[in-house]
Amino acid sequence: MSIFASPLSVAGTRTSGAPVRTQNVMAAASIANIVKSSLGPVGLDKMLVDDIGDVTVTNDGATILRLLEVEHPAAKILVELAQLQDEEVGDGTTSVVIIAAELLKNADELVKQKIHPTSIISGYRLACKEACRYIQDNLTIPVEELNRTCIINVARTAMSSKIIGSDADLFSTMVVDAANAIKVLDSSKNTIYPIKAVNILKAHGRSARESLLVQGYALNCTVASQAMPKKIVHAKIACLDFSLQKAKMKMGVQVLIKDPNQLEGIRNRELDITKERIQKILQTGVNVVLVTGGIDDLCLKYFVESGAMAVRRVKKADLKRIAKATGATFLTSLTNMDGDECFESSMIGEAAEVVQERISDDELILIKGPKARTAASIILRGPNDFYCDEMERSVHDALCAVKRVLESKSVVAGGGSVEAALSIYLENFATTLSSREQLAIAEFAKSLLIIPKTLAVNAAQDATDLVAKLRAYQNTSQTKVDLANLKWVGLDLLQGTVRDNKKAGVLEPTVSKVKSLKFATEAAITILRIDDVIKLDPEQRADKSYKHAMESGELYD
Amino acid sequence: MTAPASMGDGNKSRGGVVYKDKSKPTDVRHSNINAAKAVCDAIRTSLGPRGMDKMIQSSNGEVTITNDGATILKQMNVIHPAAKMLVELSRAQDVEAGDGTTTVVVIAGALLNAAEKLLSRGIHPTAISESFQRAASHAVEILTSISTPIQLDNREQLVKSASTSLNSKVVSQQSSLLAPLAVDAVLKVVEPGREQVVSLTDIKVLKQIGGTVEDTELIEGLVFPQRIANVNGPKRIEKAKIGFIQFCISPPKTDMDHNVVVSDYAAMDRVLKEERTYILNIVKQIKKAGCNVLLIQKSILRDAVSDLALHFLDKIKCMVIKDIEREDVEFVCKSLGCRPIASLDHFTPENLVTAELVEEIGVGGSRMVKITGAQNAGKTVTLLVRGSNKLVLEEADRSLHDALCVIRCLVRKKALIAGGGSPEIELALRLAALADKKEGIDAICLRAYANALEIVPFTLAENAGLNPIQTVTELRNRHAKGETSAGINVRKGTISDILEENVVQPLLVTVSAISFATETVRSILKIDDI
Repeated sequence: MSIFASPLSVAGTRTSGAPVRTQNVMAAASIANIVKSSLGPVGLDKMLVDDIGDVTVTNDGATILRLLEVEHPAAKILVELAQLQDEEVGDGTTSVVIIAAELLKNADELVKQKIHPTSIISGYRLACKEACRYIQDNLTIPVEELNRTCIINVARTAMSSKIIGSDADLFSTMVVDAANAIKVLDSSKNTIYPIKAVNILKAHGRSARESLLVQGYALNCTVASQAMPKKIVHAKIACLDFSLQKAKMKMGVQVLIKDPNQLEGIRNRELDITKERIQKILQTGVNVVLVTGGIDDLCLKYFVESGAMAVRRVKKADLKRIAKATGATFLTSLTNMDGDECFESSMIGEAAEVVQERISDDELILIKGPKARTAASIILRGPNDFYCDEMERSVHDALCAVKRVLESKSVVAGGGSVEAALSIYLENFATTLSSREQLAIAEFAKSLLIIPKTLAVNAAQDATDLVAKLRAYQNTSQTKVDLANLKWVGLDLLQGTVRDNKKAGVLEPTVSKVKSLKFATEAAITILRIDDVIKLDPEQRADKSYKHAMESGELYD
Repeated sequence: MTAPASMGDGNKSRGGVVYKDKSKPTDVRHSNINAAKAVCDAIRTSLGPRGMDKMIQSSNGEVTITNDGATILKQMNVIHPAAKMLVELSRAQDVEAGDGTTTVVVIAGALLNAAEKLLSRGIHPTAISESFQRAASHAVEILTSISTPIQLDNREQLVKSASTSLNSKVVSQQSSLLAPLAVDAVLKVVEPGREQVVSLTDIKVLKQIGGTVEDTELIEGLVFPQRIANVNGPKRIEKAKIGFIQFCISPPKTDMDHNVVVSDYAAMDRVLKEERTYILNIVKQIKKAGCNVLLIQKSILRDAVSDLALHFLDKIKCMVIKDIEREDVEFVCKSLGCRPIASLDHFTPENLVTAELVEEIGVGGSRMVKITGAQNAGKTVTLLVRGSNKLVLEEADRSLHDALCVIRCLVRKKALIAGGGSPEIELALRLAALADKKEGIDAICLRAYANALEIVPFTLAENAGLNPIQTVTELRNRHAKGETSAGINVRKGTISDILEENVVQPLLVTVSAISFATETVRSILKIDDI
């Protein structure tokens, strides 16, 4: 084949056949190697320094990969895979990459044994389907039999590998409380947990243990003027999405005056327009005004005079949520249907208390006890900014995990238990088939073991020994009906033994496991099917030649 | 294939020994044929259900993974002019039939190879070209005679041919799911009596990353990839009255050289108030017409809908979907059965359309608006394609496009032939038989043409990891015994009755592949100078 590459003059390089696959698999494996050591409760963190010197310290697979500037196209697929898992599930980003890379590695072995990639692909598909079915049928624990402690355990498992793992008790309850606070019913009466509604603020200084959950909304803003009250009980809140500034005429409207006396009149009028607006709002008894735009310093005095609190430059997304939580109307304009401006008392939201508090260097405004529905904000404290950033990511992962569990109402045991069970099941399943797919399914089963193996290696335990023990337990649970409960057995990484992870409270959302299997398989298949890579040269050359032409043209002149 | 080294030599001699006039046409021809054959070889491995994919990194670093011949060649950026002709050929097949883009190039490569041998025997290129043309018209006749007509209500047959097309793609495992989708989509947009003009523009394919390909769905109705523009308006409206406007609801801008001059402060209030009443007027008209869902075409000159207007529309509980692209206007109008309203005066109840339900739905990480149950909906459908990463998603889109094209071919020309290399081998046999009855150059060329067609089953077998010689000879043997529908069963690796395996393809695809390939080969043969 390669001899034909010469007459086919492509502006670039072309490689085909087995080298391509090996190259792709290598690239995928090297990506997986990067994140491998961060898997599991005893996984370590990475420090990444980008080209402008920004430092990130993280344990989150998706974050690590996003910050790496990967060039190899096959490796890029894995990076995208981690990103996708992050978006769809929020947790399990490291494991999905490791599984995909392992699937590829084993597939490459099979290809070298002269098995056609398409056979491997169909085997992988079948295995993935069987695995997902088996998880759904046998390995899930319905959440009905779970109480609050179990949900806390899910959060704890999700954050066990992270920086806040040591304070998991504090944070897991915090996360579960926050998730419960933002519960809403959607249009079709399903309970959903929009975790974006949990406002996470970071403030460095003090230890992580002093992070706190606010039942209400925390805003990273301060009151517009120091003369305003810092605390208002029984707050009546107006949410405005426009500026309270001197009225300016639109483009194309010119103010032309002939008489200098009129100048003052125009200036006054410009101010009065805003003043009238403010007075209309304050007349209804509003004592907290939140504005996304600015407020003129001149206008502040009206608020101070009536003892109201005004906050400017509130983020639009924040204000929308505050409006929802307090029952206020999110106003983009004061105009009513008659073309006049007015502010009605029905547009006011209420909260028990609005207070400005000092947390470390920053002043925060807390809106406590909103009327319409509960809200939650988490204020994270940490010794430095990297710590805070990583805490935010960890809390986000935990929130995602909790959300998935609460919405899908099922969990599986963690600590490599599911992977080991699936591996045993698939190996047995493979032997029932008499086609070429058998080998591929067996390799799929083998690939899944990479998770418990890596977990054990990261924890500095004897991986071979532990995984063998784990497999033995799982095998008994599948062969002997009376010992079926052994299927919850997983690794105890701190002790270096195996234990019942359901009892130990190491739980993960089912959705996370199923999706990561599906995504990993699909990504592996995409890469496996490639047998030809054509790399075109960057187009800069054309630019250069144009320049050359210009230069030479100029020379002629 | 023959040694390609001659091309390099050809180039050299052409550059160095220009005065040797006689050898020049031969060299040019050689160089052209070799370049074209190289293109054909480059994509040969992606033919058939066991074909593999190509990964192409374009000059701006974007990566495409595809199995579609036309896409590969388009991305590959070949330099040689003759090779470019093959790229064009594949694109022509893509436009005409939509499927078989790899096949057409592979056939063209084989025909060129045959032509090269004939040339070396000293046969004049024009003679070869003429006889190839005759052979092609014979081939089309034979193909038509072995095809089986189908009815459009035979959904099963249609699904079979769609899944044959999907089988070679990344999404082959989901062919059982995507094929019925493709069939349903095309059948929905077919207007009885006007099958010839069925257009795929009536099928809108939306791509949304996230989920797996299995989550792809067919939506009867309209889907907009935007979110609702309202700030706190309704998210779900039943029994919606939809108006589609092409004008803007925002304060009109004065022209550059016009100015509104304000000379006292009372006038300032008037200016502000005027703006409000202007917008209010529009909104009141909208309300009077009873409209509660407003679609607004994208405007580049000014805001299609100003914040103030949105505020009013929120108040009258009217859902707003803005930024509808100009090119989508036709599709939207057709699917809702409405007319775009270009000025406020026409915003009357007669120009509104009703739909059962308009709602904002969350798909993956983003939200989109879905309109279902339009009262007098036109014949359009929307396909929502999902995929776990961008590359899979795009390839799924391309594969689905191929499947849609296959069904379109069947709608245009209601005839099926077997797949799996069966028609090609049958053609080869019958043309060879025809060659025996002729004499002279024609007979030799016809035989060469017949042999060249065997490349398709040969490549299929090769890609499937079978022994190509063994397979093709056995296939020929079976066909000689009269089993016209015997073909290569790639899954089982044997020769079997391919119709029983449900591997079928539209007649139009093969016919156009053969005639296009022949024509391209003829034009390449006729070139004797570059």
